[in-house]
Amino acid sequence: MAKLNLALYWAAACGGCDVAVLDVNEKILDIAAVANIVLWPVALDHKYADVAKMAPGSIDLCLFNGAIRNSENEQIARMLREKSQVLVAFGSCAISGGIPALANLKDRDDILRRVYLETPSTVNPDGVLPQTGCPTPVGDLHLPEFYDFVYSLDQVVEVDYYVPGCPPTPQRIWEVVQAVVSGNLPPRGATVGALDKSLCDECQRVKRDKKIKRFYRSHEIITDPELCLLEQGLLCMGPVTRGGCGTQCINANMPCRGCYGPLPGVTDQGAKYLSSIGAIMDARTPEEVDEIMQGIVDPAGTFYRFGMSTSLLKGAVKQ
Amino acid sequence: MSRRITIDPITRLEGHGKIEIFLNDAGAVDDVYFQIPELRGFEKFCEGRPVEELPRIVSRICGV
Repeated sequence: MAKLNLALYWAAACGGCDVAVLDVNEKILDIAAVANIVLWPVALDHKYADVAKMAPGSIDLCLFNGAIRNSENEQIARMLREKSQVLVAFGSCAISGGIPALANLKDRDDILRRVYLETPSTVNPDGVLPQTGCPTPVGDLHLPEFYDFVYSLDQVVEVDYYVPGCPPTPQRIWEVVQAVVSGNLPPRGATVGALDKSLCDECQRVKRDKKIKRFYRSHEIITDPELCLLEQGLLCMGPVTRGGCGTQCINANMPCRGCYGPLPGVTDQGAKYLSSIGAIMDARTPEEVDEIMQGIVDPAGTFYRFGMSTSLLKGAVKQ
Repeated sequence: MSRRITIDPITRLEGHGKIEIFLNDAGAVDDVYFQIPELRGFEKFCEGRPVEELPRIVSRICGV
């Protein structure tokens, strides 16, 4: 059997998805046995120009992580879409913006000003901000355009499959690679490497009646390690988040922040969560509701921690 | 003749980088530019987030 051509790319990302691929450990050798890697900046030395020379459709599988933050991210996404038979949005950033899309709560110019002019460690007396073009005596230089919105991958190109997680777990990654190698793929557009049930479904904590009198911030409470965190008043996104991660955060006594994304059929994870906590608040009057809601310090940044690009809010909220 | 060598992307590190090397007529290096074509803006979007949430946000600056 001919080897597959495999590309792994990061756009606006942290590299954690790439490291998660390496975390399949010795199975990486099995991947190398069935696949020629044609692009993987974190580990290998291929250049964009090499990929540009490849024929359309000549990459069998591209695992694309990272959000679309600037024009370079978009150009590479378009190039990899053209060259790839199967393009996978890999990880929360590619699927729904992830952590970088928290920037959609801020204004583009405020971001540039803060980063390049105001931060205490910055020395920039001439107030220089990044430009897309810069002439020099030896030749012109070009930087990508910094967009005013962080996009998910499928907001700029067609995506074949989605593998959620921040990052996806190595076990799930291995299952995805096996599915591609064996040709045993689900219908196009499917989410792979996650459950169709909520995180609560795989969470081992004891669940009883949920009646929330107040919400706690994590430093305000010592939680019972056996009991449901949401019942104890910690904002846990488990009820509205796909399972499949193995409840890693909850095992570390931290509530879920929703990185596996919304359940099947749900468009807006944050709105769904607001609706769920509305149902479990132990309040009888609007005033009591207001009081309980005061305990939620940062609703937008918490309920849409990994999904601001694809949320109904999009960039509408500027703080 | 002067020549331009572009290394794009630079690899085996976390992040994005590009190097442009300009050679003069003699083939010696005239000038080199190291460029970072990436910005996410943690410096700004961490503002307004609860402090106890930051360990799980800024850990995504670099996951390598």
